[in-house]
Amino acid sequence: MSRFFTTGSDSESESSLSGEELVTKPVGGNYGKQPLLLSEDEEDTKRVVRSAKDKRFEELTNLIRTIRNAMKIRDVTKCLEEFELLGKAYGKAKSIVDKEGVPRFYIRILADLEDYLNELWEDKEGKKKMNKNNAKALSTLRQKIRKYNRDFESHITSYKQNPEQSADEDAEKNEEDSEGSSDEDEDEDGVSAATFLKKKSEAPSGESRKFLKKMDDEDEDSEDSEDDEDWDTGSTSSDSDSEEEEGKQTALASRFLKKAPTTDEDKKAAEKKREDKAKKKHDRKSKRLDEEEEDNEGGEWERVRGGVPLVKEKPKMFAKGTEITHAVVIKKLNEILQARGKKGTDRAAQIELLQLLVQIAAENNLGEGVIVKIKFNIIASLYDYNPNLATYMKPEMWGKCLDCINELMDILFANPNIFVGENILEESENLHNADQPLRVRGCILTLVERMDEEFTKIMQNTDPHSQEYVEHLKDEAQVCAIIERVQRYLEEKGTTEEVCRIYLLRILHTYYKFDYKAHQRQLTPPEGSSKSEQDQAENEGEDSAVLMERLCKYIYAKDRTDRIRTCAILCHIYHHALHSRWYQARDLMLMSHLQDNIQHADPPVQILYNRTMVQLGICAFRQGLTKDAHNALLDIQSSGRAKELLGQGLLLRSLQERNQEQEKVERRRQVPFHLHINLELLECVYLVSAMLLEIPYMAAHESDARRRMISKQFHHQLRVGERQPLLGPPESMREHVVAASKAMKMGDWKTCHSFIINEKMNGKVWDLFPEADKVRTMLVRKIQEESLRTYLFTYSSVYDSISMETLSDMFELDLPTVHSIISKMIINEELMASLDQPTQTVVMHRTEPTAQQNLALQLAEKLGSLVENNERVFDHKQGTYGATSEVSASGSSPRPASGTLTASPLALPPNPSHLSPADQKDGYRKTRATCAAVATASSHLKQPTELSTLSHA
Amino acid sequence: MYSRHAQRITPGNKMASRKEGTGSTATSSSSTTGAAGKGKGKGGSGDSAVKQVQIDGLVVLKIIKHYQEEGQGTEVVQGVLLGLVVEDRLEITNCFPFPQHTEDDADFDEVQYQMEMMRSLRHVNIDHLHVGWYQSTYYGSFVTRALLDSQFSYQHAIEESVVLIYDPIKTAQGSLSLKAYRLTPKLMEVCKEKDFPEALKKANITFEYMFEEVPIVIKNSHLINVLMWELEKKSAVADKHELLSLASSNHLGKNLQLLMDRVDEMSQDIVKYNTYMRNTSKQQQQKHQYQQRRQQENMQRQSRGEPPLPEEDLSKLFKPPQPPARMDSLLIAGQINTYCQNIKEFTAQNLGKLFMAQALQEYNN
Repeated sequence: MSRFFTTGSDSESESSLSGEELVTKPVGGNYGKQPLLLSEDEEDTKRVVRSAKDKRFEELTNLIRTIRNAMKIRDVTKCLEEFELLGKAYGKAKSIVDKEGVPRFYIRILADLEDYLNELWEDKEGKKKMNKNNAKALSTLRQKIRKYNRDFESHITSYKQNPEQSADEDAEKNEEDSEGSSDEDEDEDGVSAATFLKKKSEAPSGESRKFLKKMDDEDEDSEDSEDDEDWDTGSTSSDSDSEEEEGKQTALASRFLKKAPTTDEDKKAAEKKREDKAKKKHDRKSKRLDEEEEDNEGGEWERVRGGVPLVKEKPKMFAKGTEITHAVVIKKLNEILQARGKKGTDRAAQIELLQLLVQIAAENNLGEGVIVKIKFNIIASLYDYNPNLATYMKPEMWGKCLDCINELMDILFANPNIFVGENILEESENLHNADQPLRVRGCILTLVERMDEEFTKIMQNTDPHSQEYVEHLKDEAQVCAIIERVQRYLEEKGTTEEVCRIYLLRILHTYYKFDYKAHQRQLTPPEGSSKSEQDQAENEGEDSAVLMERLCKYIYAKDRTDRIRTCAILCHIYHHALHSRWYQARDLMLMSHLQDNIQHADPPVQILYNRTMVQLGICAFRQGLTKDAHNALLDIQSSGRAKELLGQGLLLRSLQERNQEQEKVERRRQVPFHLHINLELLECVYLVSAMLLEIPYMAAHESDARRRMISKQFHHQLRVGERQPLLGPPESMREHVVAASKAMKMGDWKTCHSFIINEKMNGKVWDLFPEADKVRTMLVRKIQEESLRTYLFTYSSVYDSISMETLSDMFELDLPTVHSIISKMIINEELMASLDQPTQTVVMHRTEPTAQQNLALQLAEKLGSLVENNERVFDHKQGTYGATSEVSASGSSPRPASGTLTASPLALPPNPSHLSPADQKDGYRKTRATCAAVATASSHLKQPTELSTLSHA
Repeated sequence: MYSRHAQRITPGNKMASRKEGTGSTATSSSSTTGAAGKGKGKGGSGDSAVKQVQIDGLVVLKIIKHYQEEGQGTEVVQGVLLGLVVEDRLEITNCFPFPQHTEDDADFDEVQYQMEMMRSLRHVNIDHLHVGWYQSTYYGSFVTRALLDSQFSYQHAIEESVVLIYDPIKTAQGSLSLKAYRLTPKLMEVCKEKDFPEALKKANITFEYMFEEVPIVIKNSHLINVLMWELEKKSAVADKHELLSLASSNHLGKNLQLLMDRVDEMSQDIVKYNTYMRNTSKQQQQKHQYQQRRQQENMQRQSRGEPPLPEEDLSKLFKPPQPPARMDSLLIAGQINTYCQNIKEFTAQNLGKLFMAQALQEYNN
């Protein structure tokens, strides 16, 4: 009973869903299937089963009909809906299917639908025209059916092997049905293929089809599938599955096609061109066929046969005998260019083609304009060769690119009448008219900038410790030469903006290089050092400093974009700093006010800024300006991320935090290795300058309760050094500095000196400076001075007076220096002493507080904070009194306790306050203690706590 | 340790029962009533059983000797005081030390030792009644929870008991420092209630009224006095140089250091109290809001004719934050006070000395 009801309702809903026509047809289907069903089923269950089966199958066929209709009108959305219903209906009919086997018509619709979908899918143009819903439905349906068909794979293949039979079978069983369906089939195929064609009529595939006409069916077939692959490599498997079937379809299609191309042919005016295209296609095809060989063994021999003669033809771009004119070449060029950027185009082949074209153009003397134009395009397509931003050019490509640019520049220099510019429109180009100046669209500057980027990328991606890197680095000269040439060219012809850009490029290739020649020159004439930089530069000419000066000043004056100017300033400062022109560098940095707004700049500029600051700091250090050096380096060093901030490597620590994308971006920002600043040198410079500042400071503020740290990092290193259980001789740079700091603390400058300047440290750090010896002598002197200061701070309390001569002997400083240091300390009120001129001694005044006074001061401070806290309690009580009083009924809850709390400290302050001044005025002198047996207070709590635990009895 | 303490009280219990036997009633209920019963209550805090402590020279010497032999640095020595109560005067006539504890003899029976000692002393006809205990101190840092608890249990058991605090460092400087302390009756009451925060709140007690110092009289027998005089004549004992020593910065420094530590603790306590206050008020607000919300909801329900929501236990929803221990801060305050007294005393003495030294120098010049 229930079955009847359910089926009934099903059919009802079905009929309501589908169109009228569809409702009538299944009736026939029912009759058609009856005999089959009858023959197989048993008698007693016959009636029920039969009707159920009928119903189910009717349902299915109905659905199939709708799907076919939808397919006809290309309504993929409808298809999708129906397909889903079909799937459900099939699920319901599962029990019957299990008994009967999968019905053929079901398999057929599945196979057809899949083919149809593939067809649609490959039809790019058609897809574009499709509305959004349809496109969406198409992709989902395609995926669905693929998944779904996997279950029926064997059935479908068997069906595809002889579709006729199945059709026949169908026909036998149900004439009407099969007739209709085959009809549908046929014209559906026709329609789809026709539309397919229509959509592609302007696309190359149409041509290809026409070309393929000559070939036999099978070849065509394989070609077609090739073509399919061209559009969608993902569908290869399904294509090969349905190859045979498709063969039939395309056979049909080609029949249709035969007419269309002929009309096309008539329309085509230039036959040559078509042939070119065909050839080009051949090229491509042959290439692809070659690739294909490995994969697809079945069609191998045919393809090779087709490919080989074509390869021979390849060099001939144009048909024999065609007159090569400008128009022809440019057309050809445009053809090639049209393929550019499309998915299927073979970029390598394109480059080759372009090069051929140049040759042809050159052979036929088509004039420089054309050649320049083609060259531009070659370079552009060289750049395009790598679709991925992260990957870099292959060396041969790079070489080609450089050559090409050089050639282009040659031409441009040789022919001053060629105008090149981005803003020249395609239409207004003048490539061959020799009377007027030639005008070519294209921007040499962009090309060069792009080249520079590629160079950076190559350097980034090469292992910096390999020979390869050196090889690549040799190209730098070439890059610089090109930039220089372009610069010269643009200086003549370019706008100021362009000049600024090329100048910046030049600057970026200059600023980090130490000018050894100028340095040498500066050293050799003794009076040279006294002369100012500019004078000398004028005498000598090509100095990088002068060059920088000239380029930067031009940019400062003319540039309108902020970024170029910022970069130029930073590079300029860097260059100054690199050549130890500290004051110029510093002044420029201060004048530019970059420190204020650098955080708004983009990361590469920030990295440049960081590099500049570091270089500035190192420069200051070389000049012996420890404080400036420390300040400049503080920001970079204190973060502990110097490596990252300078763009010299990614930190492993934060690797987890960023995702793939960010990492790629960061990787692209990295500075190539040859621009790196030695991090160890940087740290060493920082730590040594911190040591020179911090150690005397620490000695001066030994007993200060709240002294601040100058350098946290330095303190950290000190602490690390102290934590070591066993102190061996220092190994690393840091250990050396720590050991030196310890020696300096004691005022032992000789040990300090030997720790800072020795073989190891020379090799690691000091020899890296251009003027290593100068730096070393400066350093020794600094160590002596600061040690002297530290010594005075630390031991002044044990001296009543000390002879300056002794000090000068101790620290191997001459007397005036000692005198000036001590005077400075006295003036700054760091040292409480006076100088006794006749005896050349320092007389100490004792004013520093005694231990008790210090304690009293500390106590006073603590009491201050106590009172503050106490007052806060009181405030709190008053502030919340009104709010809490109504809730807490008694209202007296907090009072007694705080009363006790307030009472105690209020009673206290008088004591220490009248104590400390008395203490200080009467000045308890340091005397030996008579009180014996006074040990630390640590253990006195032991007994009481014991008592307290037992006290809760 | 618990046992040690508990047992220490046992002799006291015995004594209490003995006292009851002698006639005074209701002593255990409260000390004030006891004092009133004796009819000597007069003046604010001095309202207790003992008005004066009389110590035998022997006891003083024994305590000093005990410390000299066993106490070192911050190590504290303790012992039992024996004596008698005569009217409002506590006479301490003898004492014996607690043996120093070591980890090895953990099973050493403290009580047994005390009982043995007292029995033995009785055999040689010495006062054997437990009247308190003594303790050495390090720079006057004795106001601790441990001392409070011990003294409380003593005073709870033996009403008249005192604690003698001996400061060896001050003594070494030339002036004997021995002080007798008792808990004030108020504090006794508080301690009896065990619930410190509440009790302290009610008692409205401050650190000044935690301990009362009982005046001490050192008394020697006539025989000893005679002997002393005789010895004085015979021996050419040097003048008390220690008293004039100016070398006291170390002492002061130590005191300051300790004072500073306590001040730090006090600060921490105050901060704790501050946060407690904040938390409480925050919770009060929450509670208030909750109540209001509940009320509104009930009103709405009423208007809709539904039964009001059942009253929930607010105290369960809002557990009041743990109040900070008041006794600790009280003790710290007391300790600070002691330090301050010490320092004041000390500086006053030293100022005098310094002026004297100055005058002498000027005179010499």
